[in-house]
Amino acid sequence: MNRSDAPMPPALVSPLQRLRAASNRLTTRSASPVLLAGLAGLVALFLAVPVVYIFLRAVGADAEAWQRLLQVRLWKLLGNTLLLMLAVTGGALVIGASMAWLTERSDLPGRKYFRWMFALPLAIPAYIGGIVHLALLRPRGGMLPRLLENLLGQPVYTPSPLGFWGAAFILILFTFPYVYLLSGAAFRSQHASLEEAARMLGYRPLRTFFSVTLPAMRPGLLAGALLVALDILAEYGTVALLRYETFSSAIFVQLSGRYDRSAAAVLSGVLVGLAVIILWAELHSQGQARFTQMESSWRPAPIVRLGKWRIPALLVAAGVTFTSLLVPVGVLTTWSIQAVLDPETLRSVLHSGSMGFSNFAWNSLWTSFLAALLAITLSVPVALFSVRHPSRVSRLIARVCQVGYAIPGVVIALSLVLLVNRALPFLYATPLIVVIAYVLRHVPQAVRASEAALNQVSATLEEAARVSGRTAVQTFVQVTFPLILPGLLAGGALVFLTSLKELPATLLLRPAGFDTLAVRVWVWANDGFYIQAAPAALLLVLISAVPLSFLLRREQIFK
Amino acid sequence: MSLYRLTSLLFILVLLLTACTPASPVTPEVPTAAATLPDSTDVPTDVAATETVDQPISGKLVIYSGRSEPLIQPVIDAFKAEHPEVEVLLKAGSNSEIANALIEEQANTQADLFITTELFTVQSLSQQGIFQPYRPAAADLLPPEFIDPNNNWIGLTLRARVIMYNTDLVAPEDLPTSIFDLTDPKWKGKIAAAGSTNGSMQAQIAAMRQLLGEEETEAWLQGLLDNEVTFFGGHTDVRKAVGAGEFALGLVNHYYYHLQLAEGSKVGVIYPDQGDGQLGLITNATAVAVVKGAQNVPAAQAFVDFLVSEQGQKIFAEQNYEYPLLPGVPLREGVQPLESFRLAEVNIAEAALDSDATFDLMEKLELP
Repeated sequence: MNRSDAPMPPALVSPLQRLRAASNRLTTRSASPVLLAGLAGLVALFLAVPVVYIFLRAVGADAEAWQRLLQVRLWKLLGNTLLLMLAVTGGALVIGASMAWLTERSDLPGRKYFRWMFALPLAIPAYIGGIVHLALLRPRGGMLPRLLENLLGQPVYTPSPLGFWGAAFILILFTFPYVYLLSGAAFRSQHASLEEAARMLGYRPLRTFFSVTLPAMRPGLLAGALLVALDILAEYGTVALLRYETFSSAIFVQLSGRYDRSAAAVLSGVLVGLAVIILWAELHSQGQARFTQMESSWRPAPIVRLGKWRIPALLVAAGVTFTSLLVPVGVLTTWSIQAVLDPETLRSVLHSGSMGFSNFAWNSLWTSFLAALLAITLSVPVALFSVRHPSRVSRLIARVCQVGYAIPGVVIALSLVLLVNRALPFLYATPLIVVIAYVLRHVPQAVRASEAALNQVSATLEEAARVSGRTAVQTFVQVTFPLILPGLLAGGALVFLTSLKELPATLLLRPAGFDTLAVRVWVWANDGFYIQAAPAALLLVLISAVPLSFLLRREQIFK
Repeated sequence: MSLYRLTSLLFILVLLLTACTPASPVTPEVPTAAATLPDSTDVPTDVAATETVDQPISGKLVIYSGRSEPLIQPVIDAFKAEHPEVEVLLKAGSNSEIANALIEEQANTQADLFITTELFTVQSLSQQGIFQPYRPAAADLLPPEFIDPNNNWIGLTLRARVIMYNTDLVAPEDLPTSIFDLTDPKWKGKIAAAGSTNGSMQAQIAAMRQLLGEEETEAWLQGLLDNEVTFFGGHTDVRKAVGAGEFALGLVNHYYYHLQLAEGSKVGVIYPDQGDGQLGLITNATAVAVVKGAQNVPAAQAFVDFLVSEQGQKIFAEQNYEYPLLPGVPLREGVQPLESFRLAEVNIAEAALDSDATFDLMEKLELP
């Protein structure tokens, strides 16, 4: 969305803009951002390592590898990947934002519970959801077609979860919570006076929504859409499972094939290039608009009465929850019970791999937690620098910090294997390298969240603190940090959850005998032992739910 | 801790140095015998003792396995029962994914052992100098064609490429007798197979390329694609889909048929291409290799000894329905002996050299 086609009431925009411009002048003059710039630069450098490696490998690939790929495959993969990315991002935006509006701004019955229901699919890796839906809907052999055939006595056509539509369906179901959480927070924190002003100017509710409410949410929506789009670029498990070929799955095929990585490097190079284009487009669409709020006069926007739309809205919300949460959890629970009741399956669940069940649950927990902590810490200087000191350099640094997320986990893992093996061999094959991969891959989420949080805090508050004699550090600790904390925690929750679900990098980097829940689920599911995989998958969901609830409560959306 | 690291480093250094010295290819004790570190208690470097299996072994044993965990776990459990003081750490993944890890880790070796699903990978890695030679005492009992001439790898079990079918969906008179029947339009959309990332499928294509040439192999693969064969990531999906009646036929390794049968499905098996002028049954072996630079060579060698021992081979035969390479180990009941079939003969070393061409072919045809 461009600024020009989203007209803001001029009376509203210009004071805000002038304010922003003034505060920017102030900050750049008063606080020297050299230290901050240095810190942010270091973070960007750290995150850029895998990208640089991939480009070196892609450029270093022999002409033959390029030629072979350029002939047909590259274009087909490009088309496939872009199509899926657009479909899933669009779908996730529509579902995520509308569900957020329903729970935050309407009188949807049971919206307190729906908030949880819409956030919880975050705890389910898309490929696990894919496995469940595939088991249910698979043409001919699926549970649903068979049930219908038994009931009606003849084969019944059911939509296949395979291919493009299946992959899009599954990925929308399990990525929309990104958009939901970010736009939910934006809806919640929106200033009542914004819409009131529009209404006073004579705007009807619908027009107010599209020309004031929605544009003011743009940072949140864009953050969500960007996360989803990049997630799809890097997605492997689901597309492989549902047999829809994208760049990531093609790279995986290349890696599981020949021992020459140049083709995989070429594909990765193109993939990273694609991500850079998306980020560039996003940078431009963001334009000059900034939306700040004054803490002193903040009031929540009023709730909209749904009236006769209550029941349809409830049905839609229930449908989303049913397919994205109740079906996967229900099926996993059923399978888990089956696994527990069968002594032989239970034995193999409890004593599998080199270690026991509790061992890999603990591994999942501590690696993801450490990754979340590191990612938030690293994101703060980058976000501060890019939001409070906007310039070419700071924007570049912020963009560099985003690119890592678009590199498939498998490629990050490979670059780490090579680099760490040579530069820091003692670090290799320790759980720490898994944590580093999580951080490299998920810092962008933390940066996004920190930026969004900082964008919502007026710089004038910090100015006031500086004017009253506090140092830059004191200002951050006493003023900025408490205000952005909910946003940081939301980012931390995202990093924790995505790390918990992370699969390809963990598989490649884990030391022998070091398993996580996600790895166990994958190993079993990959061998077709869905019932055995179910308890670990269910535990993954339950573990995720605990910190998720803690973090969301602190963020005040879910009280 | 720093002493430990120092000794490890010293050990690796010595190993690296010995790796550089020209060693006679057949006698395994030459390259390892030089690595005698004095007074090192943490790192088991007493390699002179490795020739005798009864020497107590301990420490961590890191196994990288291209075989999926359920197929390798039983033998690990049995080994642990014999050597409780050894901590076995397993990393299982796809064959080539693990192979790539081994190549990357050459300078910083993590694994002690590599177990693989087919010989081409292990042969190709052996040519790249990833392994160190070891010849267990039992090696003399194994068929010599399943031992690397330089003792870099040792074959463990044999598997046959067969066609399994759902007995509800295929009438006995309609049964295919050759893998070339799979391109018959009457099976259109009714066949499942493993895709291009699967080691056994890769090996089958490599074998066919050698036996039939590029053109005929390409025509066969194209025939499968034209026949809308569904390619899964692995054979477990294939066997379950055939067992559930989603597909009439499945191209698998023979033990997947037995595993599916054991789950109570109505499935049958065909050992294809037995007629005159036909290809013969395509087989491939699993193998094990000791990684060069392994930290725990004594335990690794003891594990290899265990794998080719009667006890280890029995586990593969009993639990996995595989063909043990050690003569005299009985097959699991119901498994048809390989002697009753005509086998296709493949030169493994040659096929390994041609592996790039195999990948080129799969890529050219866009095999999923």
